[in-house]
Amino acid sequence: MQKIIITMLWALASVAVIALITLPVSLETQLVAGMSVLVAMMILKLLRPDGIWRLIALAFGTAVVLRYVYWRTTSTLPPLNQLENFIPGFLLYLAEMYSVLMLALSLFVVAQPLAPRPSRVRRDDADLPSVDVFIPTYNEDAELLANTMAAAKAIDYPPEKLTVWLLDDGGTLQKRNSERIGEANEAERRHAQLQKLAADLGVRYLTRERNEHAKAGNLNNGLAHSTGELVAVFDADHAPARDFLRETVGYFGEDPRLFLVQTPHFFLNPDPVERNLRTFEKMPSENEMFYGIIQRGLDKWNASFFCGSAAVLRRAALLETDGFSGISITEDCETAVELHARGWNSVYVDKPLIAGLQPATFASFIGQRSRWAQGMIQILRFRFPPFKRGLSIPQRLCYASSTLFWLFPFPRAIFLIAPLFYLFFDLQIFTASGGEFMAYTLAYMIVNLMMQNYLYGAFRWPWISELYEYVQTVHLLPAVVSVILNPRKPTFKVTAKDESISTSRISEIGMPFFIIFGVLLIGVAMTVYKVYAEPFKADVTLVVGGWNLINLIMAGCALGVVSERGERASSRRVKVSRRCDFQIGQHWLKASIEDVSVNGTRILVYGAGLDEFAKGNVSSIRFKMYADGTEGVLPVTIRNFERTSDSIAVGCYYHPSEANHHRLIADLLFANSKQWEQFQLSRRGNPGLIRGTVRFLRLALFQTYRGLVYLWRALRNRKQSGQAATAVAEHRA
Amino acid sequence: MRRAVWPFCLLLAAAAPGLAQVQPFDMSSERPAEAAPTSPVPSQPELAQPPAVPATVTQEPAIPSATQPSAASSAEPGRRYLIPFAEFVLPGEYARRSWSVYLTPEQAASPARLNLGYQNAIVIAPEVSRLRLTVNGTNLLDSPIASPDSPSGLVADMPAGLLHAGMNDIVIEAFQRHRTDCTIESTYELWTQIVPEDTFLSFDMPGTTIWRRVDDIRAIGVNAVGATRFNLVVPSVQQATSGPVVMTLAQTLALMANMPNQSFAISETQGAAPSAGQANVAVGTVSELAGVLSTLPPGAESAPAIGLVNDPNLGPSTLVVTGPTWQAVSDAVNSLGQQVDRPIDVQRTSIVTRPWRIPDAPMLFGAATLQFSNLGVNTFEFSGRRARTDFTVGVPADFYAKAYGEMTILLDAAYSAEVQPGSHIDIYVNDNIAATVPITTSGGEILRHLPIKVTMRHFRPGENTIAIEAVLLTGADKLCAPGATGLDNGRFVIFDTSELVLPDYARIGRTPELSGLGGTGFPYGRADYPVPLVIDRAQPESLSAAATLLARMAVSAGRLIAVDTNASVASIADRNAIFLVAISQAPSMVLAQVGISDESRTSWGETVASIKPDTQATFEQWRDRLRGSGWRGQVSRFEEWLSGTFNVSMDTFRIFRAEEPAFVPGGNASLLVAASPNPAGTGTWTLISAPTIGALKEGVEELTTATNWRQLGGHITTINATNNDVSRIAADSFEFIETVPFSFGNYRLIAANWLSSNALSYGLVLTILSIVLGLATAGLLAAFGRQR
Repeated sequence: MQKIIITMLWALASVAVIALITLPVSLETQLVAGMSVLVAMMILKLLRPDGIWRLIALAFGTAVVLRYVYWRTTSTLPPLNQLENFIPGFLLYLAEMYSVLMLALSLFVVAQPLAPRPSRVRRDDADLPSVDVFIPTYNEDAELLANTMAAAKAIDYPPEKLTVWLLDDGGTLQKRNSERIGEANEAERRHAQLQKLAADLGVRYLTRERNEHAKAGNLNNGLAHSTGELVAVFDADHAPARDFLRETVGYFGEDPRLFLVQTPHFFLNPDPVERNLRTFEKMPSENEMFYGIIQRGLDKWNASFFCGSAAVLRRAALLETDGFSGISITEDCETAVELHARGWNSVYVDKPLIAGLQPATFASFIGQRSRWAQGMIQILRFRFPPFKRGLSIPQRLCYASSTLFWLFPFPRAIFLIAPLFYLFFDLQIFTASGGEFMAYTLAYMIVNLMMQNYLYGAFRWPWISELYEYVQTVHLLPAVVSVILNPRKPTFKVTAKDESISTSRISEIGMPFFIIFGVLLIGVAMTVYKVYAEPFKADVTLVVGGWNLINLIMAGCALGVVSERGERASSRRVKVSRRCDFQIGQHWLKASIEDVSVNGTRILVYGAGLDEFAKGNVSSIRFKMYADGTEGVLPVTIRNFERTSDSIAVGCYYHPSEANHHRLIADLLFANSKQWEQFQLSRRGNPGLIRGTVRFLRLALFQTYRGLVYLWRALRNRKQSGQAATAVAEHRA
Repeated sequence: MRRAVWPFCLLLAAAAPGLAQVQPFDMSSERPAEAAPTSPVPSQPELAQPPAVPATVTQEPAIPSATQPSAASSAEPGRRYLIPFAEFVLPGEYARRSWSVYLTPEQAASPARLNLGYQNAIVIAPEVSRLRLTVNGTNLLDSPIASPDSPSGLVADMPAGLLHAGMNDIVIEAFQRHRTDCTIESTYELWTQIVPEDTFLSFDMPGTTIWRRVDDIRAIGVNAVGATRFNLVVPSVQQATSGPVVMTLAQTLALMANMPNQSFAISETQGAAPSAGQANVAVGTVSELAGVLSTLPPGAESAPAIGLVNDPNLGPSTLVVTGPTWQAVSDAVNSLGQQVDRPIDVQRTSIVTRPWRIPDAPMLFGAATLQFSNLGVNTFEFSGRRARTDFTVGVPADFYAKAYGEMTILLDAAYSAEVQPGSHIDIYVNDNIAATVPITTSGGEILRHLPIKVTMRHFRPGENTIAIEAVLLTGADKLCAPGATGLDNGRFVIFDTSELVLPDYARIGRTPELSGLGGTGFPYGRADYPVPLVIDRAQPESLSAAATLLARMAVSAGRLIAVDTNASVASIADRNAIFLVAISQAPSMVLAQVGISDESRTSWGETVASIKPDTQATFEQWRDRLRGSGWRGQVSRFEEWLSGTFNVSMDTFRIFRAEEPAFVPGGNASLLVAASPNPAGTGTWTLISAPTIGALKEGVEELTTATNWRQLGGHITTINATNNDVSRIAADSFEFIETVPFSFGNYRLIAANWLSSNALSYGLVLTILSIVLGLATAGLLAAFGRQR
């Protein structure tokens, strides 16, 4: 009853606002109203950017956005009888309306993200359910898998209730019997190697006959061979922290209809954008917006979905749908849609409990995103969540938001091209005067940025979303078009995540960005020319030229993204401070571990002389493990060393020779999830709209320069190699 | 002949959509009837039948005019002046004016000559400039424009049978080109002035100036300066009974003649010597008139009678309205009035402008789409630099869309490859720029239904002139080779398939708002009771002024306005009322009500002689002189830019308005018109006043001229004695008067307009509603979804 009254009140308020917004008031009134709302939002933001005030500020923003939509719809479309203007104009309109729709959906999703739940850690092991841990793998190398398996084995859980499974799809019978001998031999070798590694670590190795249904099929095979009540899934490169199950399993006891506890993915290495722009240490990662806000928002509506890894699922629920669904290439989200539709619930735990790797090169980053985009569009196509029976209305909206999001390449592309229609071809695809543009569009754009800042401020800095969308658009657009045309065609491709870049170069798929940059630059030149040559429409030219300039800044920043920096350390170092002993000859010297990465560590050794170290020497470190308090010895190779004030800093690679060593590495890296949280918190913080914009401008300017330098170098190299080739040819002649 | 037919098609077309909306309890007069719409003033002679009431109508004057020629008529044998204005200028490269003149059957049948006097700007090149005059579609004059030094006359013989009784259409066109200059600016130097006193029809047959039937009054025409005068001789003018009858008669005559500048003079005995554009009318019972007239219409002793008599004093075409009693006189007046009156519940379809402009302005009460061809704009090819064409439309007094309204012109036009980018098409509403469409492409283009949004900010109640002007830049004009101005190489064309699309707009009456009075006589034109008219009956000037004013109001309203000249101030607190008194006679409570300072009773008029310098103008001058110096100049420049781009001024930001101080008319004001809500807040009181009764009569005549009357507006309007300038003071607050039945759509638009003129209020309401929505959302989120 109370719910009905509240809904009615809300509907009444909405109708009143809409009635007010659809009044055809004059331009001056719009200007004054837009300014008052902007000022009100700013004041609210300075005073109380949370709770009910946040909702009020968002309502302000909504009002301005709706005014824009009303005006855009009623007064700016080119006349229908000018098809050359109308068609691109209408496409632009659709793109904008898509953006507004997505804004509305995300407003709904993140209207009130759930606050982190109190921890469910319990110390009594009595009635804990049995858990199978699945580590599906396809082509990851043994080192990486060893770390993951070791970390999984180290999870704090009664050993008799924990079974770790390595699900190897790279060593299936089908692969081992491949017609191609090389491939078959490789599969055979891998099969044997992993089998042994698994056995050494106490992990059960499982493979199957045929590689059907990719990852979903692999997981289902695991389900078929295991019996645990719960199933935890970790990607091959996602190593769990010790407290992973303690933090998650408790929820299943509370709700018998719970099918999923999802935790965030925390990455130890930067994605190519962060790496090339050098923002990894300073700025929240791209996925933090998703795991930090959106999943929490979805959680409010019981719509948090499975992300393929770092999650615990209930076997009983999975059996209802015959395991993981495999129609799309994003089996995770698809499985969640199906189970939500059957009335199962999900929970999201906002605490990083796994650490993983993400693609390091731009090309593999794009490969991964293409898979997500295509998979989500397949779900849209085959399951169509907005009308899926069984889902609650909030769940439908949430899934609509998650899947429709991936259509962003279309509007992005349109926003990129639209100003060029005017600058190059004189098409009037947006009929408005300079004044109207200021009163409506500018207010809308500022409010839009402010709303984003309100929603995601600490997790996503201004313009960064736009940058990510732009760099993906160029290659995602064809992928999305292809999946729309052939929804059954895409196949699951495993994303490579362990590549490293030794030399600085332009990404192999980076050239289109330079071409686009060039075209936009010509657009800027056209703007200048037009302002002088056609002063009678300078106002419109300036507005469109300004828009093109924003595109150019974005495109310039993207040049930096596709200019891959060469790097010595291929993975990120996590700061730790941990006592250990360092072996020199027969002595153990006091030392402390300063930071660790997937490949090596940096150690301060006390009481030793420089002459006692040599590059390439094999040594060992000894330390107490968090897991069980026992001491272990890990072999390392010395890579470099230098004197500090009171010690010698030694950089070394791990040199694991037996399975137990991987447990030690895993303990160093993954045992303590607290350190990940701290790292994430250290780079969170809302710089605000203005500071964020200034920062972005500075970044974009520098990255444009860097991209152009890389281009110049690449061209020079090509010329030189060309000259060399000619020289050789001449010599031969 | 087509032109004669289409106004009727238009009337039918414009009325049709409104037919379904009749509301039984509506007090609006501007509504359609269930019956077929009728034109309030018949524009065809066949419709102008004598009244079908028991009145004796004399069809023929008793004495033929030839035997008793009056002094005036012998001086001007059968002359009918054609120009209904004191000034008549054809500006620019192309100008076209068209209107109709009413002729009696005798005039139409007579052999006639047409005289046209004109003078033109010296810069006009005679070899490529032409003046054309067309009567009823037949070209009578087509001559080079070559009279820069002094007015010269053109004469054309009227072909037999071209003129007909009733309305005859006249079109004057001027094609003008500069001798040497090809710039846009040079086109403003081009003008041809038609001299009204030299422009007339002269009839050869004797007796054409003598009226033989009552309807011939419509042929009163104008004098040599475009004015029309009715002299009413009312022996019992002081009696209370005569007042309303005389006022109704004046209105009836005004509606019949429907000339732009009509005035009335009322006296007990005296008429005026007969001359062009003038008529003597005697009103009274038979016994009263016996002392004034030598002849009376037969049968007047027993029944109401209207007729024309030849009177030795008052002239050969004296209209007599009489009867045995005042009741009979009143009946006679009403019978005449029925011909031209429009019932209060019939919405008019057009504003009759034919005697000075063809076609009549269609009345637009809401959403309408009108093709240019129906608005009198023909397909128009143009080869000069500044093409201009215009049309008129009417809106009612409850038009309330100034602040937000936009209409659309769907322009069908084309320009040739010669036309360069930088040219533009401008739309003017009542001579204010309302939209500009730049031409941005070169190489010529055909525009098909190009939508041009035109602000309705400059619309006023009544007729509105919308002009379309194309400013064309070409390479040839930049070079400007000799003779280039005269080249006839079609550069631009507007097609008559273009359309005017008017949306539904907000409709609600406001008071005080004098523009409603100037436009359609609002609110008096729609009162369903005799409007109290407070005048000083002892003064004949006062009656003359009242007659002139009411005649003007009746013409604006398109119907007769019943008045009550005997109402006392105390009894009319809840009525619409008019106070037409000298300032010293004005009741204190009326002055207070309309916001005029009481001290103006004594102070106004004394300072007329010493005209004070205009402080405001001097201030503006100084500000202009000091503009742009220092940062303060920049601030004011920013303000100007704001107001230029968004029409934003400091007024925009006011929420609560200060009480305005009582108005003291300046020493140089000769007449003031002030309006306010009546004490009950249910209607409008309008005070029209001047320092003396004589000044009031003259002032009202000045006020009611076509040009000044349309400038009425705001809360207070004054006329400057020295230059006849009209100045207005806008009202700070309004009372709304509902004029159409409640509908959600209309109130939405009213809200839109009110909020548009009170911008900060909109921001405020939006803010409050957003807060409410935010709170409601918080409630909703607390009720639905997971909480922790």
